[in-house]
Amino acid sequence: MIEGIAVLKLRDVLLVTMPADPDDSTVSALQSRTLDAMEQHDVKGLILDLSKVEILDSYFARTVAETAKMVTLMGGETLIAGMRPSVAITATELNVTLGATRTVLTLDRALDLAGNISRKKSVQKTRSAL
Amino acid sequence: MAKEGVGTAEAQTDKQGKLRAESDLDMLRILVDSIMEYAIIMLDTKGNMVSWSPAAERLKGYSAAEVVGKHFSIFSLPEDAASGKTDAELKTAVREGRFEDEGWRVRKDGSKFWANVVITALLDTDGTFKGFGMVTRDLSQRKEAEERIKGQAKEILEMATVIVQVWDGIILVPLIGMLDSERTQQLMERLLQRLTETNSPVALIDITGVPTIDTQTAQHLIETIKAVRYIGSEVVLTGVRPAIAQTLVHLGIDLSGATTRSSLTAGLRVAFEIINIHVAHESAQGAAVGK
Amino acid sequence: MSEPEQGTVPIVLEADIAVARRVVRDVAGKIGFGVTETTRIITAASELGRNVFKYAGQGVMHWRTLHKGTSSGVELSFEDHGPGIADLDAAMRDGFSTGGSLGMGLPGAKRLMDEMDIQTTPGEGTTVVVRKWRHR
Repeated sequence: MIEGIAVLKLRDVLLVTMPADPDDSTVSALQSRTLDAMEQHDVKGLILDLSKVEILDSYFARTVAETAKMVTLMGGETLIAGMRPSVAITATELNVTLGATRTVLTLDRALDLAGNISRKKSVQKTRSAL
Repeated sequence: MAKEGVGTAEAQTDKQGKLRAESDLDMLRILVDSIMEYAIIMLDTKGNMVSWSPAAERLKGYSAAEVVGKHFSIFSLPEDAASGKTDAELKTAVREGRFEDEGWRVRKDGSKFWANVVITALLDTDGTFKGFGMVTRDLSQRKEAEERIKGQAKEILEMATVIVQVWDGIILVPLIGMLDSERTQQLMERLLQRLTETNSPVALIDITGVPTIDTQTAQHLIETIKAVRYIGSEVVLTGVRPAIAQTLVHLGIDLSGATTRSSLTAGLRVAFEIINIHVAHESAQGAAVGK
Repeated sequence: MSEPEQGTVPIVLEADIAVARRVVRDVAGKIGFGVTETTRIITAASELGRNVFKYAGQGVMHWRTLHKGTSSGVELSFEDHGPGIADLDAAMRDGFSTGGSLGMGLPGAKRLMDEMDIQTTPGEGTTVVVRKWRHR
């Protein structure tokens, strides 16, 4: 069974959807695809959709934290949407950290927030241009 | 019973005694056979079966022919027989006169039943050890009732942790009592479920009903706050009164994952602010699109 | 239904960690664990399987179903002939988050399961056994 990640660019936000139980190569694809996208396009944020994810082990968590750090260094923000209760509880017990990320309940909310991030940044751009 | 001349009277009472003894034995036999609630059987000094009863057959499924001479450990769980538990039971009966136990026993068809078993060491009138008497009582019904009560206790525990939606987007948990591991697990599961189902950005946890904060309860609270934040909601912790605040500081507990307030009212105000921010965002979006 | 079942999953490639997870999911399903308990078991298996791959290069996961009275459960045993754990106390200490540093995730796995036993000999290998019982 081939589980891939779905990567979508919506304006200047990258939306990555993770499958239910990604193997290690799929998890590392999250990082490589994100970095590729940020290099090729003007991406201001990463939205990680975890609503399908059933297992989040330490490797997955570490990859997310690393990727978020890279995004931050490049001037962007990372939002995590839709984590399932069972995954949240296990992540707490496993004592992992997801690093420089912000969590939101739904993809909807993530898109709202991402819209605000881009608006804020474009306002700043306009201001500085004056 | 009238006493007569020594010689013949004794001979007579002796004979009568023997007859009585025999008829006593018959009576005992009839009594044992008629008791259906208790399976009464006799074992020899090594624990092999020497007698059987209709109740024993009914309870354990074996006929008399199938068990006579066999060791009583065939009625125990295989792991108990293998570990030497059945031998220990006999030893206890010899040492203390009696052994009593409650546990699983096995029928002929392999099915299990919960039983009360009493093994008594039987001594002759001159003190010779003759064997054992074993009385087994089927407690399946009582076990079922206990399981039912346990289930009800669990339900009561669940009911004790109330989770209420007080507003669109605000879930309130008025905690009463302390938080142990089991209660915390239940709380986390139910709270997170409700938050995701209702899409509520705020979990308002009120600890006014928590008498004191010990390290354990504080740890459990921290876990709960972490888990709520992972799913994308925020925690407003209320009821942090002076005594609690003091304990938290003294124990070095960091509740910075949540917004804390001393009263529920103050907490509600914070909760509404958070909700309104969400509402403001959505309407701003709407306004932007409308342009 | 009360028949004890068992099996083995070799851990040789990185992809085998995911295989182990899938097998554990099936077994947990057979026992009838709920969603959260199943997630805990699979996550613990992933951590311990990863340890085998990361530190020993290869090893094996044995699994078996447990039955005791009316309770059922699962036992997972991770065995390798790797370097062993030199300082078991340090490995079991929860001083750092597994997200940041290269910890072994043992304390986390222990928290997720009901029982954990570790046998390790530096230079010879390690066996980690974990068990979880189904609570009704």
